[in-house]
Amino acid sequence: MNGGRILVIATLFMLAYSMMATATDHIIFGQYLRVNEGIEINYDIKIEVVEVKEATVDSAKFRISSYMLPEKTYTVFKGDTPLKYETRDGISIYIEVISVQGKTVFFEVKGPDEWRVSNYYEFEPEEAETEAVTVPKLEIARTLDISSVQQGQTVKVTLKIKNDGNGTAKEINLDEPTIKGTYKEGCPATLDDIAAGATERVSYDLKIVDAEPGTYELTPTLLNYKSESGASYSSESSSSVLVIAAKAVSVPKLEIKITIESGDDVMICGERFPATIRIDNIGNATTGRVTTKSRLPDDLRVVDGEIDPVYESIKPGDYEEYEVMLIAYEPGKHIIEMDVLWADDEASTSAEFWAERSGFDKYYIYILAAIPILLLLLWLIKRRREYSF
Amino acid sequence: MLNILILGLGQCGNRVLDAVNREAFGSGGTFAKYYSRQKFPASVKTIAVNTAINDLKGLTDTLARDRFHVPHLHGVGANRTLGKKVFEDNKEQIMSEIDKRGSFELIFLITSAAGGSGSSFAPLLVKELKKAYNAQIICIMVLPFREEGSIFMQNTAFCIRELVEERPNGILLVDNQYLKKYAGDIKSAYDKINTTVARRVLFMIEALNSEMLMVTDLGDLKTVMNGGIGIGTMGYYEATKDGTIKSAILGSFKPSGLLFPANVYDEGARAMLIIKGDKKYLDLDLITKTVEELSTEVGQVFKGVLVKKGRPKVLSLFTLNSVPELEKLYATAANAIRFEMDKREQSKKQLDDAFAHIDELEPIY
Ligand SMILES: Nc1nc2c(ncn2[C@@H]2O[C@H](COP(=O)(O)OP(=O)(O)O)[C@@H](O)[C@H]2O)c(=O)[nH]1
Ligand SMILES: [Mg+2]
Repeated sequence: MNGGRILVIATLFMLAYSMMATATDHIIFGQYLRVNEGIEINYDIKIEVVEVKEATVDSAKFRISSYMLPEKTYTVFKGDTPLKYETRDGISIYIEVISVQGKTVFFEVKGPDEWRVSNYYEFEPEEAETEAVTVPKLEIARTLDISSVQQGQTVKVTLKIKNDGNGTAKEINLDEPTIKGTYKEGCPATLDDIAAGATERVSYDLKIVDAEPGTYELTPTLLNYKSESGASYSSESSSSVLVIAAKAVSVPKLEIKITIESGDDVMICGERFPATIRIDNIGNATTGRVTTKSRLPDDLRVVDGEIDPVYESIKPGDYEEYEVMLIAYEPGKHIIEMDVLWADDEASTSAEFWAERSGFDKYYIYILAAIPILLLLLWLIKRRREYSF
Repeated sequence: MLNILILGLGQCGNRVLDAVNREAFGSGGTFAKYYSRQKFPASVKTIAVNTAINDLKGLTDTLARDRFHVPHLHGVGANRTLGKKVFEDNKEQIMSEIDKRGSFELIFLITSAAGGSGSSFAPLLVKELKKAYNAQIICIMVLPFREEGSIFMQNTAFCIRELVEERPNGILLVDNQYLKKYAGDIKSAYDKINTTVARRVLFMIEALNSEMLMVTDLGDLKTVMNGGIGIGTMGYYEATKDGTIKSAILGSFKPSGLLFPANVYDEGARAMLIIKGDKKYLDLDLITKTVEELSTEVGQVFKGVLVKKGRPKVLSLFTLNSVPELEKLYATAANAIRFEMDKREQSKKQLDDAFAHIDELEPIY
C-alpha cells in the first residue's frame, strides 16, 4: 500500500516535471495532504485543505491566507488550470490538484525559485453550526414587603418572573402555596406568554385572617410552562419565611427603681439620707390600683415620707416618683427591696449601700485619696533621680 | 529585634547621645521623661562616657546609670596624649560597663574629633570593641568649627587618622562648620545639629529593624559603609505637599540636606536610601526607576521602603571615594602645627637669650 503510494508520487513527480511550461516552473510543493492538514510557504502563505470531494470531477477546497490578506476559500478541480494566488506584494503561486483519494489530495504548488515549504501542520476542523433551538427559561423571585405581621394585617407578595431563555414561555401555570388561616387576594393561576428576555411582575395580597401565631415557611412558588415546540418545563422560587404574631393586646407594665443620693453609696451611721423611688408604666395600657411594698433591714428607719404609697392608676408612659428620708444605725451592707403590685402582676427592685461609722470614715477617705498622690510624688522623685547625675 | 549600642564620648558625643534619648521620647516634650520611657525602634542601650563630670551632669534625658564617669576629675583639657593614657588606665571598667548591657550587632560611637576625651577614646575604644564584639561599628564624628583654634584642628587631624587605622565599619562625618547655617549662635546651632543627627540615627535604626517593603539590613549597611574610603555622611529630605517621591529621593542627595559638604554625584561610592511614608505616596515602580538612575551615577544604591503614616521622608547614607573637604582640613591643620612649632622655637630662643645674660654668673649673697 505504502509502496504503491510512493510509486504514484514518483510517477506524478516525473509527469509534473515533464510538463513544466508555466511561467514559474519551480515546484515548491508536490505531495499528499489530508483534510485538516496545511502547509506554510516561505513563512507566509498558509494553504489548508478544508475538504476533498470525489465526484464526476474530483476537487479539493483550500483555505489560503497570507500577510495582510484575509483568509479565503478556493475550490480547485482536478485537471483544471492551476489556481493563481497573488500575495500582497504581487508575487503569484499556482496550485494544481493532481489527484484525489478518500480524504487525501495530491496537489502541486509552483512559485519563485527560492521559496520553500516552511511548515506542515494540522488544524482543528470547523464545528458544524447547530440549528438553533429556542428554549424558554423562567427565573422566579418572590419578595414579601414585610416578613413579620400581626393577625389581621396584609402582606404584599410580589413575584418577579424573568425569561432568561431564548424562546417564548407559553401556557404558564402558577402554583402558589397556601398557609392555613390566610387568604390570597388577586393571586392568578395562569400567566400570559412571556417572550425571551422579558420580565413579568405579578403581585397579590396575602391577608392574615386567623392563622395561628408562629413562624411559617412559605414553600416555593411553582411555575409550569411550555416552549413553542410544546416541551414542558418548570421552575421554582426560593422559599420565604413569614412570622405571624398574635394581635397586640394592651397591658400595663410597671417598673420600679430606687436611687440613693450619694456619690459612692457609703452612708454615715445615724445620718439622714434621701432615697428616691420611681415607678414607670412602660406598658401600653393604664393600670388599675397600684400598691407598693418595701422590705427594709432591721436597723434602717424611714424618718420622713411614706415609703409604701398607693396610686389609683398610672397611665402608659407616665410615672410616679417620691422621696423618703432614711437613717441606718448599724455599719455594713444594707439592702432595700421594693415590690410594686398591680392587677395581676408585680415587679420588684433592690438597692444597696454601705453604712460606715462616722468620724473616722472621713479621714479614711482622705487617706485613700492621698495615697495615689503620694505614690505619684514618689514616682516623680524617683524618675527625677534616675535622670540626675 | 536588633541589639544596638549607642556610645557618646566626650562632651559633644554625650550631648548628641542625650539628643538621641530625648528624641526617642517621641513628641512628649520636656516632661515626657517623668511619665514615659524612650521608645526606640529596636533594642537600644545607650552610654555616655566622659572624663569631665560636669559634662555628664549637664545631660537631661540620659538615665543617670547610663552616664559613666572616667575619673580624671576635670577632663583632659583637649590633650589627646593624656586622654589616651586615661583610657588605657580605665578601659577594664569602661568595657565591663558596656558588657553589662548584653551583646550587640550594631554599635554607634558618637564623638567630636577635636576635643580631648572623645577624640582620644574613640580609636582605642573601637579597637577594644572589635576585640570583644562581633558587631558593626559606625562612628559618627563631629568636625569642629574651623576657627576653633589650632589645637582642635590638630586633634581632628590625628583623631581621624587613628580612627581610620582602627578600621571601624564606617565613619559618618558631621561638620559643625558646614552646619553653622542652622542657627545664629553656637548654642542653638549645637542643639539643632545634635537633634538633627539624633533623628537621622533613629530613622536609620528604625529602618534597619523593620520589616520593610523593600529591605535594607545590616548586611546592606555593611556593604555601603565598605564603599570608597569608608568615610561618608547622611542626607535627608522631607517631601513637600505635592512633590513626587522622585523629587524626594533626589532631594536627599542635595548638599543642603547633608551633614558634611560633599558632591555625592562626583564623590559618592555607595549609598543607601531609606524611604518612609504613607503607602499612597510610595510608587514602587517610580522608586525603583529613580534608584536605578542614581545607581548609574553614584554606584551601588541600596533602598529600603518603610510604610508609615505621613509624607514621604528620605534618609540617604553615603560613602565617598574622595573627600576634598578633609584634605583642606588637613592642610589647615598642618599649617597650624608648623606655625605653633615655629612660635615655640622662637619663644624658647628668646628665653635662652634671656638666660644667656647670666651665663657664667653665680648669685652673690
Ligand atoms: N555638634 C556639636 N558639637 C559640639 C557640641 N559640644 C562640643 N562640640 C564640638 O566638639 C568639639 C570639642 O570637643 P568636646 O566634645 O567638647 O571635647 P571632649 O569633651 O574633651 O571630648 C568642638 O569642635 C565643638 O565644636 C555639641 O553639643 N554639638
Ligand atoms: Mg569640652
